[in-house]
Amino acid sequence: MHKVFVTGMGVISSLGVGKEANLDRLCSGKGGIGRASVFESKYTGSLFFGEVNLSDDVLKELTDNQGSTDLSRTALLAFFAAEEAIKQACLSNEDLSSYRTGIISSSTVGGMCNTVSLYNDANRKDKPSTFIGSYADAEHTLQLIKRYGIKGYSSTINTACSSSANAIMLGARLIRSGRLDRVIVGGSDALAKYTVNGFNAMMILSDEPCTPFDANRKGLTLGEGAGYMVLESEKVVGKKNLLAEVVGYGNASDAYHPSTTSPDSIGPTLAMQKALELGGIKADEIDYINTHGTGTVNNDETELIGISNIFGQPPIFNSTKSYTGHTLSAAGVIESIYCIFSLLFNEVYPSLRIKQPMEGFAANDAYLSGIEIEHAMSNSFGFGGNCTSIIFKKV
Amino acid sequence: MYITDLKAISPQESYTEEVLSGQFKVHTDMVYRAIEPNYIGFIPKGLLRRMGKAVRMGVGSGLPLINDHQDIEGILVATANGGMEDCIKFLNQIVDYDEGILTPTNFVQSTPNAIAGQIALLGQNRGYNITYTNGGLAFENALQDAMLLFEEGSCNKLLVGGVEEISDYSYNIDFLLGKYKTEPIDKEWCLDSNTAGAFCGEGASFFVLASGPKGSLCRIKDLDQITYPKESDIEQLVSNLLSRNGLTPAEIDSVVLGYNGDVRHNNWYDHVGNSVFGDANVFCFKHLVGEYRVCSSAALWLLTHLFQGNRHLYTKMIKENRHDKPLKNTLIYNHFDADQHSFILVQRN
Repeated sequence: MHKVFVTGMGVISSLGVGKEANLDRLCSGKGGIGRASVFESKYTGSLFFGEVNLSDDVLKELTDNQGSTDLSRTALLAFFAAEEAIKQACLSNEDLSSYRTGIISSSTVGGMCNTVSLYNDANRKDKPSTFIGSYADAEHTLQLIKRYGIKGYSSTINTACSSSANAIMLGARLIRSGRLDRVIVGGSDALAKYTVNGFNAMMILSDEPCTPFDANRKGLTLGEGAGYMVLESEKVVGKKNLLAEVVGYGNASDAYHPSTTSPDSIGPTLAMQKALELGGIKADEIDYINTHGTGTVNNDETELIGISNIFGQPPIFNSTKSYTGHTLSAAGVIESIYCIFSLLFNEVYPSLRIKQPMEGFAANDAYLSGIEIEHAMSNSFGFGGNCTSIIFKKV
Repeated sequence: MYITDLKAISPQESYTEEVLSGQFKVHTDMVYRAIEPNYIGFIPKGLLRRMGKAVRMGVGSGLPLINDHQDIEGILVATANGGMEDCIKFLNQIVDYDEGILTPTNFVQSTPNAIAGQIALLGQNRGYNITYTNGGLAFENALQDAMLLFEEGSCNKLLVGGVEEISDYSYNIDFLLGKYKTEPIDKEWCLDSNTAGAFCGEGASFFVLASGPKGSLCRIKDLDQITYPKESDIEQLVSNLLSRNGLTPAEIDSVVLGYNGDVRHNNWYDHVGNSVFGDANVFCFKHLVGEYRVCSSAALWLLTHLFQGNRHLYTKMIKENRHDKPLKNTLIYNHFDADQHSFILVQRN
């Protein structure tokens, strides 16, 4: 069974464009949540967002898509992050078009972020808009396949908040099975009226920037962004710079409620357990957890119960959603990238805005450096009780 | 991996299995609507009321299988659009009420993974759970994942299914994209139409897959996929698929092809059915179930019954009857819009 290495990463979020910008803000504790300046919604005055504050036109310039009329914002964000990852991994055209190179992306909103066009097209109010072909979840994946000439395995996953974590997991499994040598994995989600109103109707949005693991937390803050990783088999990495190794992963279903986690945290516990077992890793070998940590009353409480079930006393943990907001399908991969930053630089970033820690637990709320991190775990728990945990190891 | 049980809701009487005794529905509309069962009795009424059609059909097909096979260890669902109807209803509320107070049910039920989530919840299944939305390859993604799980040794039984609903909204969008016929065709075999566009269908087809052959109906041996291929890519893909399974083209006795009546895309199927496998019998299925992104799941349901020797299906589906050898090594070849192509190798168990 072949080892799976991360050889490239790309990210765009409210912390900035590209890895360096994101890392910079993580280290300096400068979160990206604020009032939206590009996104249009009745709620931009009353709610906070982790927005990539660049217009679609600027994103088009950034991704060499000037003049395009049919790319959704989700696709534009994806283009940036995928390119950064592919460039870092030094993938040639030959690599990209090999039958042994695959792509697995994910999105919750897909092209439905273009709400007004979708309303008009779906209800046939007018002539078809230029976005008529852009709404599907898989559309941004197809755009990436077209740009890079990818011929191998392709997939799009939507398990809401755990989507891109599942993409990473599937990519690793395909490489280990010997079917693929490399796979581009990740996800993208743009802010959309659809998700803002959906979460608002469920009354889980905080009216202040989210405060994961604070005793008085009020809910989540939505964000947007995209992240991609290039995973490669040890057979083909040659002398490339290896960023991390994917050593463990697990997925389980909580099977309790469509949108809340069970009080005993069955799904999260199972997912973390499976990840450890698969990697042959003992709980006390995990040095840091990047939690799902949305800032809702239910998630943070149940996630900590799950963590206690496995770890007893938890290792150092934080929620980087306090920086980016909840980037939905992109959360798994973006937070995994942040995990890998911690592995690479032996540092842990603070969980922001904790005024009063939850009883019995203290999320890390300071910038820590010089911390020896050998194994890092990233958790993502989605709607429908879909729970995924990934473990990365320092190379 | 092996198919040991299956259930389908489709535009035919597949759920009642009356279609297996020759009760075919001839669709002359442009839209082939599914014949849904009465769900009362196994989906709680309160829940049923809140479910959109995609979730209803998915749960309606998948849940009975979970109930009958308590040893299912994971649920893999493929749906390109999920509960689009609920999604657009929610969207309409957003626009019509200018983002006022909205009902959350439509939102939660509309997310594509609501189907897999609900089946897990109602079946109290805590195993691996995933939803694929990759358009015309989503069902193949689910099958591939199941195959990986069996190889990894982590499971012995899985539930895999494909679901797609016709919502006015997704139909409108696809219609505007020129995917569907603009006029009905008033004959049963509509697949040799010389106009563009297909007939929109819907359905849910679920399978219990097992790691071993005991009690199985047929075997899914291998599969492969490609996006935006050239014709030579298709030939290469088929060649690789066959050789890694120790087969020559001559040993494929039957192919199930996704002809859908859209004259623009027939050439792919013509090439595979006439050149690559010129001696194989050719079957079609979309005149029975319509066209939708995960309809290869319906093809697999039909093919499984062909393997059981069903003569009614044989007669209704056969396009080229070149020999009368029994089914042994078969290939399902399907594409969606000539962009996403897949092959599934299905064998006698």
